Amino acid sequence: MKHLRIGALLSAILVVAAACTGTPAKSSTTLVVALPGDIVRTDSMLTDDSNSSYVIQQVVEGLVGLAPGSTSEIVPVLATALPTVSKDGLTYTFKLREGVKFHDGTDFNAAAVVYNYERFRTVPDALQEYSYYTGAVFGGFGDASNLESATAVDDYTVKIKLRTVSSNFVLTQTLPVFGIQSPTALALGLADNSETDITKITGAQGGAGAMVGTGPFKFSSWVEGDSVEIVRNDTYWNTAAIAKLEAVIFKPVAEETQRVNGLADGTYDLVQVIAPADVATIAANTGLQAIDRGSSFNIFCLQMNQTYAPVSNPMIREAIAYAIDKESLIQTFYAGAADVAKNWMPMNVQYALDLELPTYDPAKAMELIAASGETDLTIDFWYPNDVTRPYMPDPKGLFEAISAQLEAVGFTVVAHDAKWRSGYLDQEAAGAYEMWLLGWTGDWAGPDNFLSTAFFHYVDGKPSPEFAYKNDKLDATMAAALAATSDAQAKKLWEKAQNLIRADLPTVPIANSKPQAGASIDVKGFVGSAGLNEYLNLVYLDRTGN
Amino acid sequence: MARYIIRRLLAAIPVLLGLSLVLFAYIRLLPGDPCVAILGQHRTVESCAKLREHLGLDLPLWQQYVNYLTQTLSGDFGNSVINALPFTQEFTVRFPGTLELTIGALIFAIGAGIPLGRLAARRVGGWADGLITGISLFGVSIPVFVLGLALAVIFGVALGWLPTQGRIDAHFRFDSITGFLLIDTLLAGRPDYFVDAVRHLILPSIALGSIPLAIITRITRASVIEVANEDYVRTARAKGLAGKKVDQRHVMRNAWLPVTTVIGLQVGSLLGGAVLTETVFVWNGVGRWVVDAIENHDYPIIQSTILVFAAFFLIVNLLVDIGYAFLNPRIRY
Repeated sequence: MKHLRIGALLSAILVVAAACTGTPAKSSTTLVVALPGDIVRTDSMLTDDSNSSYVIQQVVEGLVGLAPGSTSEIVPVLATALPTVSKDGLTYTFKLREGVKFHDGTDFNAAAVVYNYERFRTVPDALQEYSYYTGAVFGGFGDASNLESATAVDDYTVKIKLRTVSSNFVLTQTLPVFGIQSPTALALGLADNSETDITKITGAQGGAGAMVGTGPFKFSSWVEGDSVEIVRNDTYWNTAAIAKLEAVIFKPVAEETQRVNGLADGTYDLVQVIAPADVATIAANTGLQAIDRGSSFNIFCLQMNQTYAPVSNPMIREAIAYAIDKESLIQTFYAGAADVAKNWMPMNVQYALDLELPTYDPAKAMELIAASGETDLTIDFWYPNDVTRPYMPDPKGLFEAISAQLEAVGFTVVAHDAKWRSGYLDQEAAGAYEMWLLGWTGDWAGPDNFLSTAFFHYVDGKPSPEFAYKNDKLDATMAAALAATSDAQAKKLWEKAQNLIRADLPTVPIANSKPQAGASIDVKGFVGSAGLNEYLNLVYLDRTGN
Repeated sequence: MARYIIRRLLAAIPVLLGLSLVLFAYIRLLPGDPCVAILGQHRTVESCAKLREHLGLDLPLWQQYVNYLTQTLSGDFGNSVINALPFTQEFTVRFPGTLELTIGALIFAIGAGIPLGRLAARRVGGWADGLITGISLFGVSIPVFVLGLALAVIFGVALGWLPTQGRIDAHFRFDSITGFLLIDTLLAGRPDYFVDAVRHLILPSIALGSIPLAIITRITRASVIEVANEDYVRTARAKGLAGKKVDQRHVMRNAWLPVTTVIGLQVGSLLGGAVLTETVFVWNGVGRWVVDAIENHDYPIIQSTILVFAAFFLIVNLLVDIGYAFLNPRIRY
């Protein structure tokens, strides 16, 4: 009993002492970044989530990339220049940088590039579900892949041949998924397509051979659910861009409030995405800064399925578009950090036109309803009740505001809600909803990624059940635009596609939100990008103010 | 004693088997499946069907259960359907965090609960008794996440006294050898880091330990009052034995038994409470992991974690029962 008391006393003293003692000064060479979630895998090819990509792009580089701060300006990275294209539009020739080494000391050369592209082409069946972008960009795998071959012309020249012309090829190669990794490391990590059981591929699971690229940072460790650490590559080939930080630690923090609280108390130096509602809190704190990423790379829409009346009637859809006060939604729910949508894609995407979509005019909406001949104006309207998305910061609030605006012009809204992962996405995709809230964050800044991939693609030659939007001419135009051999031809066809969609107004685009980053005032040199292609080797910490 | 332990271990088998069946059925009854969590907005009907087939979710339920049971009995607890990492690997990484938090909460609950209970028993009916009983009632009533958030807001955000997220300042870089940060920081020769880890442990431990604290306080109080009225205690006092000695040798020695039982039972509630506490304090432990797994319909992780927790709970209770024999020599198994 005596010992117990002494123990309790000592513990109490320790706790009080600990509580009263300050912690050591914050490191000025280690940056702690809060991400919305943990990474999923450490192999760029076997990854399709934004958290993994955000980390991987600091470590693994591709032949081409995006200029800092841009979503569409393509710059050569491991290639010395943008590729030359053959007259038939099928063969791309890349000249490679010399003297570059992977983090494991392996030489970067044409053989390494060919090895990686062969890997993209021949993803084994059992791994294809983990490699969404490889399949989506090349249209399949093996013989079904649009990637016909990659061949080394000499040690530093590679030819990549496609089966059919694809006008988005170079743009898609900026995705972190198509980063070039060390062939030695890929073989070591069983990530060379020889092993088909993903659980044994250590390269994808943070073990041997994981994330070995040529970038300004090297992968150091991944503690699942807790942190990913990358450290400076002191021998980075681009000596002008050697990282100023010694290390970057990424922490997964799902709750928006916790991210902002952690920023305020110094737990994190940089929070990748903050909620619009927190921007004012951060701006009011002199130790913090909200970082505007300049433009938007997403679209939020009021979605409709044409299987159901009255939204099957084009005049009703037009009336709905006039009934919605987009400006007031942006002021109320996005704290002003969004643009009124002018298209089904953000305006920084290739060939985007201002489609002069209907603006708020309730009188016009009522006229259209009267002229439509529809008498039953009841609409079943759904929203997700357990998530927020970067393009949809408050689904319930947005739902209520839009419902009120629709009811003001004469519609009767029947409210429904569902859980995002347990019904909502499944049901809307299956065509079970008449009207619902949903948007899209871009993968690459090509019109195909928004107009086709996200929304109006056909499935097996028929309209997707999601929207039941039938327009064969649009489908053919989008296919022709993807196969265009010149930029002028692609532009003309994509503009035609946009006008076709505008004429039908299958859904109502509402806003392009601009999710901001939050950072300590010590963080300098950060260049935000709407597409989150943000390079942390440019960042440094100036703690002198503290 | 050995026969008793073997009998108890054998009795645990049907309990765990029954639990595995109930768990399996319950988890499958939850709406949705892992497809949306894995493929998100990129999923198609075809890719979901392929994924379900790959994960074996297209098989009849009974067959899925048999597969799961066979796999588990052979020591393979499965892999996460989200990142494909093996359960054992992910559990091993996170369990030290949960254990450290649980121990912190137990130290708080026992360290404060027993003295408070004794004090209340000694002053039955007095203002100290009323205050302590009131506080323990409050402790039992308040949900862990509410208390956790309140502590974080008051002592972390508003006053800035203590950190409210994580197990240690993420800016600190050192090798983690055991996964127990209180040990690893000392092994790394960084007492300043150790202090920081203790600071991170304080608020979550108080939040998690609040309910056990209240229960231990009340049981100690009741038990001490009961024992203090026994004949042998009165005899000891009548013999002229000093009050302190009577307390230690006669009262507390006997009052320990129910208190020990309750402490054993509280380990279970601490593991359950860790789910909420870890989420509130961004604590990388098994509890927060399970929350994510439930959200993602990560069946193997949910099933295996709850099964391992149940086994842990059974073992702790067995240890408590064995502990009785040491506390009270009259008990023999």
